[in-house]
Amino acid sequence: MLRLAARRLLGLVPTLFVIVTLSFFVIRLAPGGPFDDEQTLPPEIKANLEAAYGLDQPVATQYLRYLQSLSHGDFGPSFKFKDFSVTELIGQGLPLSLTLGLAAVLLALALGVPLGAFAALRQNGALDYSVMAFAVLGVALPGFVIGPLLALVFGLHLRWLPVAGWSPGEWRYLVLPALTLALPVIAYIARLTRGSLLEVLRSNFVRTARAKGLPERIVLWRHAIRPALLPVVSYLGPASAFVMTGSLVVETVFGLPGSGRYLVQGAINRDYTLVMGMIIVYGSLMLVLNLIADLLYGWLDPRVRYE
Amino acid sequence: MKESLLEIDHLSVRYPAPGGDIAAVNDFSLNLVAGECVGIVGESGAGKSQALLAAMGLLPRHARVAGSIRYGGAPFTRELRGRRVAMIFQDPMTSLTPHLRVGAQIAESLTHHLRLSGAAARARALELLRQVQVTDAERRLDQYPHELSGGMRQRVMIAIALACNPEVLIADEPTTALDVTVQAQILALLAGLKRERGMAVVIVTHDLGVVAGVADRVLVMYGGRLVESGAVADLLTTPRHPYSRALLRSMPRIDDPLDGPLHTIAGQPPSPARLPTGCAFHPRCERASDVCRSRFPALAAGRTDVACHHPVEDA
Ligand SMILES: Nc1ncnc2c1ncn2[C@@H]1O[C@H](COP(=O)(O)OP(=O)(O)O)[C@@H](O)[C@H]1O
Ligand code: SF4
Ligand SMILES: [Mg+2]
Repeated sequence: MLRLAARRLLGLVPTLFVIVTLSFFVIRLAPGGPFDDEQTLPPEIKANLEAAYGLDQPVATQYLRYLQSLSHGDFGPSFKFKDFSVTELIGQGLPLSLTLGLAAVLLALALGVPLGAFAALRQNGALDYSVMAFAVLGVALPGFVIGPLLALVFGLHLRWLPVAGWSPGEWRYLVLPALTLALPVIAYIARLTRGSLLEVLRSNFVRTARAKGLPERIVLWRHAIRPALLPVVSYLGPASAFVMTGSLVVETVFGLPGSGRYLVQGAINRDYTLVMGMIIVYGSLMLVLNLIADLLYGWLDPRVRYE
Repeated sequence: MKESLLEIDHLSVRYPAPGGDIAAVNDFSLNLVAGECVGIVGESGAGKSQALLAAMGLLPRHARVAGSIRYGGAPFTRELRGRRVAMIFQDPMTSLTPHLRVGAQIAESLTHHLRLSGAAARARALELLRQVQVTDAERRLDQYPHELSGGMRQRVMIAIALACNPEVLIADEPTTALDVTVQAQILALLAGLKRERGMAVVIVTHDLGVVAGVADRVLVMYGGRLVESGAVADLLTTPRHPYSRALLRSMPRIDDPLDGPLHTIAGQPPSPARLPTGCAFHPRCERASDVCRSRFPALAAGRTDVACHHPVEDA
C-alpha cells in the first residue's frame, strides 16, 4: 500500500509539469504586464525593472529560467511586493488557508455523512425531510450570503463567536468561516450519502447479510456503509476544489489573513511569479487530495484496487 | 406425523401503489415438515420469491405483509435466520458483499450465532468451502467475491447458508443465473447435501425435471396464489389444475420429436397490479366458464389440493 502510494505520488510529477507549463504561458498571454499600471514610472526605469526581473528576455528563455529556479525549490521574487520572495508571501497566508480548508472538508464529512445516513435510515420520516430541505437550501446558497448571515446570528446576536478577524492560535475565529465554507458541501454530501445508502440497503448483498440473521447495526456498519461511501469519496476531489476557491471569498468576508488575497492581488497586478507560486501550491494540493481520494476508493472497493 | 418446522399461514404481500395495491402474494400457506423437500413452480412474477422472502422477513419496509409465519410453534424471529432457516438466492454475482473476503462472510454467521472464536470460525469456514466443493479452498478464504466465478460464488452462498447447520434451506432459483453445466453441478451438490444432512428444503425452480428429481411435494403458483399442491408423483403425472397441466406440457421432453410442436402457454401471466376477476387464469384457460370469470375458486382438498372450478378429473 505504501509502495503503491509512493509510486502514484511520483506519477503526479509529469501532471504538475504540464500545469506549470500551461499556466506559465497562459498568464503571459493575458494583456498587460507587472509594471504597466505604474504610470509614474519613466520608460527607462520600467525597462530597467523589466531587465532586472528578466522580462526583457524571450518568453522561452524566461520559461527555462523559471524551471531552473523551481528545480531548486525557489518560486522567485514577487514582482509587486518588493523585498518579499513568493515563498515568503505564500508561507504567511498558506497555513491559515490550509487549516481553514481542511477544517471545512472535515466538518463537511463529519456532519454530511451522518446526516445523510440518518435520513436514509429514517426514509420519509420527519428527519429525512428536514435533512433534504436543508440539502436543497445549502447547495443553493452562495458563501457570500451564508457567511454574513452566520456572522449576524452567531456573532452579533448570540455573541457566541467572533464576527470576523483573526488572532493566531484562536480556533474560535475559524468556526464561522469554516462553517460557511462547509455548508454547501455538508448539504451535498448528505444528499449523496442518503441516496447511495438507500440504494445499497436495497442491494442483494445486504439481503444476504440480513438472511444471516445479523442485527441491522452490523448489516449497516460492516456491509452497507463502505459501498455507500463510494460516491462521497469520488466527490472529495471536486469538494476540495470548491472549498479552495470558496475560501478566497470567505477569507475576505471574515477578514482572515489567508493566502487567498495574494492570489487575487497577484492576478490583478500581473504578479507573474506570485500567481505561478499559488498555482503550483494549490495544484499540487489538488493532485495529492485526488490521489488520496483514489486510494481511499480502492480501500472501499477491492474491485478497483490498483496493482 | 413428522414435526412441523416452518408454518406459513394465509400469507399475503401487498405494495401500496397509486393506481391500487399491487398484490404480489395472496393467501399463501405452506407447512414444511422436517426433512421434506418442497418444490415451488410457476411463471416468473407468480409471487414465489415474494412469498419466501416474506416468510424470512426479508421484504422491503414498504411491503404490507399479512398472515402468520411461525417456526417450531413460535413466531418467526430474526435470530432464526441463518441459524435455523437459511436462504440462497438467484444472483450469486451480486449476493456477496464486494469488500469483504469470502472467509469473513462465511465466518460471520458462525461468530454471530454460534459464538465461535475468530480462529475456530475460520477453520469451520474452510471445512464448509471443502464441503461445497470449492477448489483451492484455503486460498479462496482470503479472496474477494469478484475473484470467483458465478458457480463458485453460488457455492460460497451455499457454504454461508449451511454454516450453522440449519434445519431448513430455502433455495430461490439457485441455478437460474448459471451456465447449464454449472447448474447441474450445483443441483447435484444441493441434492447431496440435503440427503447427508436431512435438511428440509424449499426449492423454487423453472425446471420441472429438478422438481421430479429432488422434491417430495410440489406447489404451483399463479398470479400470487397457490393453485395446486400435491405429492410429486401425483402432480407431475396427472395434474388437476389446467395451469399445472399447461406448465407440464410446455416442458420440452427428452422423447419429444425434434421437429414436433413446442407447447407454450398462450397469453401473458397476469400483472399483480391488475389481476383478472374470479380465477386469475381464466383469460388463458381452455376450460374457463362464466363462474370462473366471476367467482374465485378456493383451494379444495383431493388427490391434489386444487383451486379450480373445473379441475381435470382423473381419467
Ligand atoms: N418492491 C416491489 N414493489 C412492487 N411490486 C413488487 C415489488 N417486489 C415484487 N413485486 C411484484 O411482485 C410480483 C411477484 O414477484 P416475485 O415473487 O419476484 O415473482 P417470482 O415468482 O418470479 O419469484 C411481481 O409481479 C412483482 O412485480
Ligand atoms: S377455475 Fe376456471 S378458469 Fe380457473 S383454471 Fe379452473 S377452469 Fe380454468
Ligand atoms: Mg423469483
